Amino acid sequence: MEAVREQLQEVFREVFKDPDLIIQDEMTAESIDGWDSLAHINLIIAIEKRLRVKFATAEISRLKETDANVGKMLELVARKRNPAT
Amino acid sequence: MNVPSLQFLAAVFLLSATVICLPSVRLRQAVLALCNAGFLYLLIPNTASGFALGIFLLSGYGMARMLIKWPSYLVLSAYLIILIAVFLVIKRYEFITFYLPDVITAYELKIVGLSYILFRQIHFLVDAIQGQIETPSLWSFANYQLNLFALLSGPIQRYQDFHDQWNQLSSKPKHSFEVQAIYFRLLVGVVKMAVIATAFFALYQRSALALGQEASQLPRGIAIEHFFGILYFYPLYLYLNFSGYCDVVIAGAVLIGIRLPENFDQPYLARNVIDYWTRWHRTLGFWIRDYLFTPLYKAVAENWPERADSLAFLCYFIAFFVVGIWHGPTANFVIYGLFQAVGVSAAKLWERHIVKRRGRVGLKQYLQSYRVRIAAIVATLHFECISLLFFPTDVHTTVQMLRTVWRSLR
Repeated sequence: MEAVREQLQEVFREVFKDPDLIIQDEMTAESIDGWDSLAHINLIIAIEKRLRVKFATAEISRLKETDANVGKMLELVARKRNPAT
Repeated sequence: MNVPSLQFLAAVFLLSATVICLPSVRLRQAVLALCNAGFLYLLIPNTASGFALGIFLLSGYGMARMLIKWPSYLVLSAYLIILIAVFLVIKRYEFITFYLPDVITAYELKIVGLSYILFRQIHFLVDAIQGQIETPSLWSFANYQLNLFALLSGPIQRYQDFHDQWNQLSSKPKHSFEVQAIYFRLLVGVVKMAVIATAFFALYQRSALALGQEASQLPRGIAIEHFFGILYFYPLYLYLNFSGYCDVVIAGAVLIGIRLPENFDQPYLARNVIDYWTRWHRTLGFWIRDYLFTPLYKAVAENWPERADSLAFLCYFIAFFVVGIWHGPTANFVIYGLFQAVGVSAAKLWERHIVKRRGRVGLKQYLQSYRVRIAAIVATLHFECISLLFFPTDVHTTVQMLRTVWRSLR
């Protein structure tokens, strides 16, 4: 999980052009500057590329809902990379 | 049967009283399914329409089962092309019916709520092929598509959401104040639709009639009064009528044990057109975002990453063109959709301009300014009012009304 978190953090830093960004589980689209609908799709593309996972359409929208946060994203990515967990 | 009618309300109360007494989920499902079928029977005008709807739905269910077993985007794409073509023929879109032989167009096919059925079906199929729906049953799919509370005008619920509730179907509220709130919402919905919206529509019609006459010229004061009539009364009518409708169906569905998604969140307080589409007809806006805009922009950004920022605007125009033609087969709806695309693009460009000039921190300060917020709300409201001038009448009539105002002001 920690390796995935590190990789996800790198992706966040690249997409939101903030080299000091430290992701935390409770962070939401509201708490990261520039995380709008377009940036969300750019983020998804970058995660898919870097972590070699594929998101379904419904998952992409769920990750932007009000109750979604970085922790849930991390969980989903980790599950996709290792379906047994 | 109209949604705010006494018959509809009586039927909902009777259904809710029956459902709450039934001991098992299966029995409650059976009663609700019977009501769905009965409601549909009242709205289907002839056997051919019923037959067409049956094929429409069964083909979607069969295709979903097949795609779950043997996923193929090629097959899904081919099916969706056929499905949309059938939809366009049934809804009599001129650009397609013009080329069809009379033998096809001769059938009087009329399926209520078909636009909503189509969007639910596309979502169902896409989610099925992507593994987001596991082994759906025909029983729950049919009731999802024909749910009497969402059949006519939405809200566009997602299958997974419906399926979870359908399998529990418990209408017993936890607190007595919940019951009061549900009945109060029903009452509010009926009053909004039957009283206030009706009054605003009458006022709109009065102004539209006065301005719509060929070559008419009115005294300046009267022309201005009627211009404000068509500018403000129709948006008021539309909001009160549609949100009132949603109040009735959402509250009615809760009485049976189904929680439909909310469709409105103070849309006329939106600060730009992007914000507006997260508040107005939300389930349509979210559907378009999820099943059209996101895949489209994602494909663009993956293939041409360096031009993605600019091509996003093309995606906005395609998405809102679809929003326009989804509302109806005539040119005025295309204009309405294009207005929305221009509004969304302008909001995005303005945001980028502020970020470029003042940075992200500057944008944050800008968004927090109370004065800016008020100005943005007023501007967005008027933009939407102007775009809605093209919604209720054909282009010729709208232009005629605006010409009358112009002639009278000169």
